[in-house]
Amino acid sequence: MGVLAASRLSFAYGSDPVLDDVTVEVAHRDVVGILGPNGSGKTTLLKLLAGSLTPASGCVTLDGRALDKIPRRELARRVAVVPQETHLAFDYTVLEIALMGRYPWLGAFEIEGPSDLAAAADALDATGTAPFARRAFPTLSGGEKQRVIIASALAQLDDRAAPDPHQRDTHRVLLLDEPTASLDLRYQLEIGALVGRLRRDRDVTIVLSSHDLRLVGSVCSSLILLSHGRVLATGPTRELLTPEIIGELYEVRADLAAPLLP
Amino acid sequence: MMMARRPLLALAICLAIVVALTAQTPANGQRIISLVPAATEMLFAIGAGPEVVGVSSFDTYPPEVATRTRVGALVDPDYERILTLRPTLVVVYGSQTDLVERLGRSRIPVFSYRHVGLPDVTTTIRELGARVGRMTEANALASAIEAKLADVRRRVSGLPRPKTMLVFSREVGALRGIYASGGIGFLHDLLVTAGATDVFADVMRQNVQVSSEQLLARAPEVILELWPSKGWSAARETQERAAWRQLPAVPAVRANRILMLADDKLTIPGPRVGEVAQALADALHGTAR
Amino acid sequence: MTDALRPETHPSQPRPHGPSPPHLLRAPLTRGLPIVALSFVALVASVGLAPFVGSTSLSFTRVFATHVPFGDNVDAQIFLLARLPRAVAAALVGASLASAGVVFQSLLQNPLATPYTLGISAGASLGAMLAITFGAAFPLAGVAAASLVGAFLAVLVVYALARARQHGLSTTVLLLSGVTLNAFFSALILFVQYLSDFTSTYRALRWLMGDLDVAGYAPILAALPFLIVAFAAFIWLARPLNLLSLGADAAGTRGLDVHRTQRVAFFSASIATGAAVSIGGPIGFIGIIVPHLVRLMVGADHRLVLPVSAFLGGAFLVTCDTVGRTVFAPLELPVGIITALVGGPFFLWMLLKRR
Repeated sequence: MGVLAASRLSFAYGSDPVLDDVTVEVAHRDVVGILGPNGSGKTTLLKLLAGSLTPASGCVTLDGRALDKIPRRELARRVAVVPQETHLAFDYTVLEIALMGRYPWLGAFEIEGPSDLAAAADALDATGTAPFARRAFPTLSGGEKQRVIIASALAQLDDRAAPDPHQRDTHRVLLLDEPTASLDLRYQLEIGALVGRLRRDRDVTIVLSSHDLRLVGSVCSSLILLSHGRVLATGPTRELLTPEIIGELYEVRADLAAPLLP
Repeated sequence: MMMARRPLLALAICLAIVVALTAQTPANGQRIISLVPAATEMLFAIGAGPEVVGVSSFDTYPPEVATRTRVGALVDPDYERILTLRPTLVVVYGSQTDLVERLGRSRIPVFSYRHVGLPDVTTTIRELGARVGRMTEANALASAIEAKLADVRRRVSGLPRPKTMLVFSREVGALRGIYASGGIGFLHDLLVTAGATDVFADVMRQNVQVSSEQLLARAPEVILELWPSKGWSAARETQERAAWRQLPAVPAVRANRILMLADDKLTIPGPRVGEVAQALADALHGTAR
Repeated sequence: MTDALRPETHPSQPRPHGPSPPHLLRAPLTRGLPIVALSFVALVASVGLAPFVGSTSLSFTRVFATHVPFGDNVDAQIFLLARLPRAVAAALVGASLASAGVVFQSLLQNPLATPYTLGISAGASLGAMLAITFGAAFPLAGVAAASLVGAFLAVLVVYALARARQHGLSTTVLLLSGVTLNAFFSALILFVQYLSDFTSTYRALRWLMGDLDVAGYAPILAALPFLIVAFAAFIWLARPLNLLSLGADAAGTRGLDVHRTQRVAFFSASIATGAAVSIGGPIGFIGIIVPHLVRLMVGADHRLVLPVSAFLGGAFLVTCDTVGRTVFAPLELPVGIITALVGGPFFLWMLLKRR
């Protein structure tokens, strides 16, 4: 049984069907890439996996438990989402944003303690953003911003403060929605490297959606191919990342797709 | 040409027009519009009532004004309606410079009304009387008013003159937005005539917005409140008296010398000022003699 | 999986390794506590000092002379019954409007939002206009109560409109509902003014300019329950509002109950605004100047911004009111004019300042 599993999911925005009969499974410490053209339902699938959206039919389970049965805070301690872009209404500092990830670990009026600060510092270190800790978020570059949000998600998943040792054994999932979509090549490579490091150094399962075939090729161990709201194929990356399959996914000729593949 | 061929039709049409035009013109040919309630009262009091064809939105006295056309008031005079009535004289507020200018361009005579003090009432009556050709009646009225005021002064002359605050407007049920008479203006003059000392006599304005600080600092011995008659009842009076109990430190509140009068005529500087002076004197010194 | 993707470390970015620098391990929140304390002192000082200033010159020895019976001590009466309640009212109104401003800006994700953006002051003004114009004919409860009712009516309408389309409170729909309500109620207000006589119109205009001369503690006590509820909610809201700034989705994935937070924020800030307006009329600019300045001083953490805005908002309004009632003594300049005179140049400065 996978860490995160979706069974026969379907979802619609109003009368607009987006996903139909989607079944996926994510294994522990896997890095799964969701590929598909715009409108194929990648972001919706990610939101359903995160529990932000409720499926019209089907269900999502985390370690075998249905998401809607898991209390909000507990779910937040185990599943973190990095959206494509973050627009802040006010000028928070990098450290403050990292600390916001500690919300599910704190009581209503509890102030961040040493373990929370350590978790945030750790996360900033892991993403190489510790030098910016006191800088205001809007002053950062696109790649730096994305790394800070990833740091916030890592701080969110950091379970050093969990009182219950059993909790420490539960699996953590990091979901990234098109993490390199709006970034320059340099930052794309940075994020790619970061995801690779996380995969290697941390006990976390990663699911990311992307258009970036190079990123997906370099860090993902398995893929989910979505087309028009349905699963076209799932399996190991090396098997699926071929010109023919990618061509079919994006509805282009295989020879056009070939140069893009690693 | 068609008219020439049908002389009877032409005549009938002309007659109809003439009848329509003259149908509502009173005997002496004057058509007066008054935007100022006090002036309306004056016109009726000197017998020019039949010549008044238009009144302001706020006119209520005398009862005959109900049959006259309403033409707006200080901030919203209905210029078109005024023109339709074909006035020979329009009485306006001195501050309505815009309207005066427009009427001037239409060559409509204007009587500009400004009142400050009590003497201006009788002066205005006389001026209006001259303007509408009723000098005799105007003089008689003015003299009667002056006599009445003198009479009131005489009756209160020996009596003590309490430090009084004359409130002519206040927020309903609360001690906020209190407006009292200042040291000039007809309300002040009436207060003095009625035998009281004005607590704001030294403030050279017609209206004073009284803050709670000023209320306590001036410490009036008597508070005289003038309320409009609309909506007034025993229940309202109880409510308004209760409002004053918020500041029991004021001498007038402590001594329970809060006088409330509800009558629209109290704040109109018109022909009934003599009655108003009497009413104030009665309230201040007790109904007597 | 090729190593070709691992970038060379940029020379200006040291490769992070080893323990974090110690300064990182001090919580940002504690650095702001001195400012909170200072702003509280400013508030208390302003309320304490304001009664000593005024258009009537007082003998302060006489004010505090306990041997003189209160009924005969005009100086003490003025100090304790006229000036002190006024200072307290100004402090409460200023604190409410400033903190409600912070909450609305957070709820609407926009630093230009004010407590009046969603139409609450339009509702309060309509209630007040109706009471002022027709109050004598229908003496129900008075202007303050009527404005409170009007405010709450506006709140309910906006909420109903915003909820009509979907389950949560979308900021766009909220904003549109508020703008719609503002326009509609403003039209009604003009209509009421058209129907009213000159005195009522003047009185209504005067109400719109703000008036903190409460003449006793009763109006304050009447509004106090609402303010207490609102401020309690603000304390609870401080951290959730931080998360909300990341966006509703991002806040939700961090474990925040976004719908509940939005509801609490909307209603508590509306209650605070409605109560403040019922005491002193729709005084402008505090709800936007103070939060903006406070964020420049303490950063964006609502756990600092909310209390400091409340305290400084109160102190600011006490100061404005004191200026208004002394600078042209014995005439009083309405406090809303003072805040507008400060607010105009402030906006100009904001506009010209480069970020």
